[in-house]
Amino acid sequence: MSWAESIVSVLKKYNVRFLNYVPDAKIETILAAARQLGGFEALPLTREEEGIGIVCGQSLGGGRGVMLCPTAGLGNSINAVAALAIAYRIPCPIIIGVRGDLGEFNPAQVAMGQATQDILDALRIPSYRITREDETEKMTEGALRICYASEGPVAILVTNELAGWKEGKTKS
Amino acid sequence: MIDRSEASKYLAGKLKDELVVTSLGNEKYDLRSSGDRERNFYNWNAMGMASSLGLGLAMARPELKVIVYDGDGSLLMNLGALATIAMREPKNLIHIVWDNRSYAITGGQPTATAFRTDLGAMARGAGYPKVERVETLAAFQSAVDRALIEPGPWFIHCLMKDKPVKGGGLPSPTAIKHRFMDAIGARH
Repeated sequence: MSWAESIVSVLKKYNVRFLNYVPDAKIETILAAARQLGGFEALPLTREEEGIGIVCGQSLGGGRGVMLCPTAGLGNSINAVAALAIAYRIPCPIIIGVRGDLGEFNPAQVAMGQATQDILDALRIPSYRITREDETEKMTEGALRICYASEGPVAILVTNELAGWKEGKTKS
Repeated sequence: MIDRSEASKYLAGKLKDELVVTSLGNEKYDLRSSGDRERNFYNWNAMGMASSLGLGLAMARPELKVIVYDGDGSLLMNLGALATIAMREPKNLIHIVWDNRSYAITGGQPTATAFRTDLGAMARGAGYPKVERVETLAAFQSAVDRALIEPGPWFIHCLMKDKPVKGGGLPSPTAIKHRFMDAIGARH
């Protein structure tokens, strides 16, 4: 199985039905695997903060959803993570496609990409960096287990070591 | 202009098994004092998130009507949600927006609706199929009566009097969550 197939098969095993997303290349790879497997509802959003509210609403209703977004999107969503998922103790898995790290070409992605781990740590959000295909299933499953056990946000970082970096021209 | 506490009492009297999720503004206090119920979810501080919480709930529980009790300031912070809700088109969603043209809970600073912005027009432009603008209690009652029966998503834009609200005294966030989820038999 590819890393993306591993992620979506674990999501299905844990009854995650809603894939709420703001796209990037890594997220699209996951969405493509989900379309192949079937049984999910994908919802495109205008902004990542919305997605945290939507995942929390789905969760309050007894459904299971995840938020899928790039690292920049974590910055867009952070007060909702703090004021909903943490304050109310609502399970909120966030699958983050890493930008601004190994091999980045876009200067404006770097600050947020490099700050991501510190932001997650500052809010005491458990986070798991997946760097190898053969560990993807275990890491994803472990992250979902602690998410539903702790009833709070958990981040799964899909790294460039795992999924490759985006091709693009560096500065002229 | 509508007195929101009177309108909230009317709504509370009509509610049966519907779910209500509030913004962090003063509307949550009017809703609560009109008749606290287990199926109300009160929002302490998630700015702008009422509409998104409501969409998530409506997706997870399509058999239940979900009412979003929102405010102008809160909606202005999350305008993208209008497009997302209209795109997803949850038939069971009723989005009630209380417009007092100010950030009442922080001292009455003006919002954009005090100038040229029309939230109902924005909802219509986003693609909500049912949009009502109400300025009297009778019009509010009639819109709510229809929305509780006819499929949505509904957007009820309520022009209200600016009036002081007695707030405070909410239960803890986790108490609100557990009471709400227990009432609808939901588990994480």
